[in-house]
Amino acid sequence: MGSLAVELFGKSLKNPVMNASGTLGYGVEIEPLWGVDTMGAYVTKGLSAAPHHGNPTPRVWEERCGMLNSIGLQNVGVDRFFSHYFPLFVERRCPIIVNFFGFSEEEYLSCARSIEPHDLIVALEMNLSCPNIKMGGISFGKEASAVHAIVRSVREVTKIPLIAKLTPEVKNLVEIARAAYEGGADGLTLINTMPAAVVDVKSRRVTLKGGLSGPLLKPVALRAVHECSQAVPIPIIGVGGIMNTEDALAFLMAGASAVQVGTATFVDPFAMPKIIAGLDSWLGASGLAGISAIVGAAHG
Amino acid sequence: MDDIPGKITGNDRVTGNYRRLTVRLERSLGRVSPGQFVMVKVPDRDIFLRRPFSVYDSRGRTLTIVYRVVGKGTDALSAAVRGAPLMVLGPLGRGFTPGRGNTPIVVAGGIGYAGVRMLLKRLGDRATLFFGATGKDELCLAEDLGTTRVLASTMDGSFGFAGDVVGLLGHHLDDYLGKKPEVFACGPSGMVKSLKTLLEPVRIPCQVSVEERMACGMGLCFGCVVATRDETNPYKRACKEGPVFNLWDLLL
Repeated sequence: MGSLAVELFGKSLKNPVMNASGTLGYGVEIEPLWGVDTMGAYVTKGLSAAPHHGNPTPRVWEERCGMLNSIGLQNVGVDRFFSHYFPLFVERRCPIIVNFFGFSEEEYLSCARSIEPHDLIVALEMNLSCPNIKMGGISFGKEASAVHAIVRSVREVTKIPLIAKLTPEVKNLVEIARAAYEGGADGLTLINTMPAAVVDVKSRRVTLKGGLSGPLLKPVALRAVHECSQAVPIPIIGVGGIMNTEDALAFLMAGASAVQVGTATFVDPFAMPKIIAGLDSWLGASGLAGISAIVGAAHG
Repeated sequence: MDDIPGKITGNDRVTGNYRRLTVRLERSLGRVSPGQFVMVKVPDRDIFLRRPFSVYDSRGRTLTIVYRVVGKGTDALSAAVRGAPLMVLGPLGRGFTPGRGNTPIVVAGGIGYAGVRMLLKRLGDRATLFFGATGKDELCLAEDLGTTRVLASTMDGSFGFAGDVVGLLGHHLDDYLGKKPEVFACGPSGMVKSLKTLLEPVRIPCQVSVEERMACGMGLCFGCVVATRDETNPYKRACKEGPVFNLWDLLL
């Protein structure tokens, strides 16, 4: 039998499947159905140095083949996550990736600084889609120079491996990926949700502006993974519209070393365990020694 | 909590755009508290997310939901035929917790009745239902309550008190004030707001089941929040900390 285990940033994960940030609460909420240690790693809800209340409703909207969300990064703050929710992961021996954000360089730095290395912390995942309040609200992730600068600053204040999670809404994603790598990122997560809107025809108003997720994002994300994984020599975590085993395989073949599943969990709370089981049977049938052998199979 | 496959055994019009759905589940939902809900995967390709519905009744492997066709999801559900497969995740959320020795007053507006029906069955003769309907045709929804006292209002004046249900309750509230009254409510947001205005001077205990647009139904996405008075953490999840909240904690 081949192994689903993958090595990421020097840590061994039992499989390459994790949740996308913000789609599995604080982890504890899924426990009545399946254990968080089913996954290769748990990715935290986006955390910040200080707690955030988030946006008023409506926060979610359904589309035919996906959904929009505008949660507004509601979170309890990084300190409370570690005092209150992290013990579950210690108990389960479940590795975690800490997703974090800020609205200024100082906020990113103070959050990153406050996280002590731990054998279960695989990496920090920087959400670079946040608006930079000091730069007129332009997202940190939009310009190569800004990405380079913020990644480099954060890189200097933590010993934990650093992943940059990039927004696809840029002129040249490969250039941004290179800037993150050159700034010192140890890996990339591709891609974040895409900016989208809903208009209510009755009231003639915008109902919601938010991030688009779900199956319609998959081809966009696959292209980003395929191109960036050949442009930078660091691991890529693929995310965007993965609904089943075949989708996950496509991302691995496109060059992702691991995948994140998000919106699918809302449709089927067992989507992740099913994908993991599906990868296992696919691997068994393939005769390969390990799932890592197919990473980047679609290159060249 | 479990995610259980089932098959539709009935999906019939009750009155107007109200329908009753019965589902034969592969396994029982287990213990359901009054006010809890389920997330249903509607058997239609165009409906991406699940939809939340109050548990109207759950007996063994038979689940009953009473719903009103209000949008895309419920419209698609209304077209589902007997034998169609669906998935039911539940029971979810925190339901009603009636205090011992209190006199229960249950207030339901329209389809809000589905959210308090299990509670009414549990409370039996102890409770009085104040039921607000648009017209007398809707009153058949509450016909299966047996001996529970029902006071009805209709917006069109075709039966009972002419006006809204909070107006009706206002006429009777004084009768309860010496009897440790406790209010349980489920209905449209306008009803909840005017209920709060009515009860403000007397501040009696009141639990209210809220409705919010949901994605996951189990606390994963933080999409269905309601604003509360808690200053450190104002937004609470309707699906997890709710759907039943203390009325006096809510910012309406």
